[in-house]
Amino acid sequence: MAARLNPLTALTAAAAVLVITTAASSWAVSLTVAVGAVLLAAAAGIVRRVLLAAAVIVVPFWLSLLVIHGLFFPEGRTALASWGPARVTAEGLTFALEMGLRTAAFVLVLMVFSFSVRIPELVAALTARRVPPQVGYVLASTLLLAPLVAARLDKVRQAQESRGLVVGRGIGSRLAAIRLQMVPLVLGLVHDAGIRAQSLDARGFRSTGPRTSFTQVRDSAAQATFRVFAILLALAAVGWRIAESLPAGSLSAWFLSGAGGG
Amino acid sequence: MSQQSLTLPPTDRKAVRRRRLLELLGAASIAATFIFLVLTQPADIAGGPGSVSSLVALGGFLLGALLLIVGVLPTLPTSTVVLIPVALVLNIVLGQLMGTSGLPFYLDSIGTVLIAVLAGPAAGAATGALSSIVWSFFNPTVLPFAAGAALIGFLAGVAARYGLFRRFYLAPVSGFVTGIVAGVVSAPIATFVFGGTSGVGTGAIVSAFRAMGDTLLAAVTKQALISDPMDKAIVFAIAAMLVYALPRRTTFQFPFVRRFRVLAGKEPAGRNS
Repeated sequence: MAARLNPLTALTAAAAVLVITTAASSWAVSLTVAVGAVLLAAAAGIVRRVLLAAAVIVVPFWLSLLVIHGLFFPEGRTALASWGPARVTAEGLTFALEMGLRTAAFVLVLMVFSFSVRIPELVAALTARRVPPQVGYVLASTLLLAPLVAARLDKVRQAQESRGLVVGRGIGSRLAAIRLQMVPLVLGLVHDAGIRAQSLDARGFRSTGPRTSFTQVRDSAAQATFRVFAILLALAAVGWRIAESLPAGSLSAWFLSGAGGG
Repeated sequence: MSQQSLTLPPTDRKAVRRRRLLELLGAASIAATFIFLVLTQPADIAGGPGSVSSLVALGGFLLGALLLIVGVLPTLPTSTVVLIPVALVLNIVLGQLMGTSGLPFYLDSIGTVLIAVLAGPAAGAATGALSSIVWSFFNPTVLPFAAGAALIGFLAGVAARYGLFRRFYLAPVSGFVTGIVAGVVSAPIATFVFGGTSGVGTGAIVSAFRAMGDTLLAAVTKQALISDPMDKAIVFAIAAMLVYALPRRTTFQFPFVRRFRVLAGKEPAGRNS
């Protein structure tokens, strides 16, 4: 399902949902969005990967929120329990719950996007929109490079071990071991980058002007309309939230005086 | 590898001016967002998760970071552009490792500082911002910190420009100062977007300040002032160590290193640039 969408449509949808969730700032909306993201992931068949990756990020986050706001919330009035300086308050727990759900929705929505998007299509779509080609290169290259760097680090470690590297208990020995692995790794990567720069330059990487792409990105009038609609909806949510936050009555007073003056 | 492209660079005045404008707008957006957040915070956070502040923090900082990237990236030489992915992978690999260790340090900007020392403040700023954006494909919570990461890269480049990486003991000092600035700028994001937390280790310090009755922004800022300067001092020292370990043949290929004599020592012989 996600494969047939233009990546920009998916990106716009994710961004709009996040803006609306932040603007609404209510636990019910956040929970709905989070559940919706999980259902969407299930429909795309990536629910296990998304949930696992999100849990690694969100669970320590929740624990930290609980420690900060659950135990210490000086603004709280309704104390539920207290040990010495620590005071569990209803307000603190509510704040932690709201923040926790909002963060969970934030993480889940972006995870569903990044796990379902095809990077070559995203890069092609960005280049077609006249985003500088370097942005697409950096994005795609980093995602491809990560496993290569991990493999290379492994090779460096093996090579140093065969030269007699033994990691001792002491911190000095550990730091020395890190240095012995980091320096060859970085040196090799910088050297490789130089070679890559030459071959990229030889193929006209820096040339300006129109570019063609092997990757065809599907787009449709309906998707373009949807993107405009999503952006307008997000802007409306922001406008509503700002109007709401102004002191009560000031907006209508300004409106009336403006109407009277005109 | 540093040799210039054989074709002449296009001298399009209008495009250059447009990019400079994008950079300035990006920096202005980040600065204005920070000032707005600091000025309006007391009224907002007491009334529940401050939603206007979160929107402003997310929107203003992200917009600034994006403008910086689009403005800076096309001006960089290819030899620097291909180094950016390497720096990002180093950031991510080392940052993920530290994030799980529970220590109140991040060490997630070694690659950014490395690029800044080799290629200058603009490249450093773009690398920092891009690092947050690419990393958010694995961990979305780093996305809002893009502006802070850009600032770290920029300040590291400025430190290198004025020769603070020529002596090993000066690098951690400049890192310490960078950490103070970066911590103060990043604190509103941790406060308004995530309710004051960015990890278990830092959370414990925040709750200690909260126990003394600080407001959330004050507590998070104080935590950042404890963690960030130390963190950046370590990062700058590691980056300096890595740059010194690189052969001069490699480091002097970067025009920024040659032009501002970023590193002590002479240019290797036999190179006429």
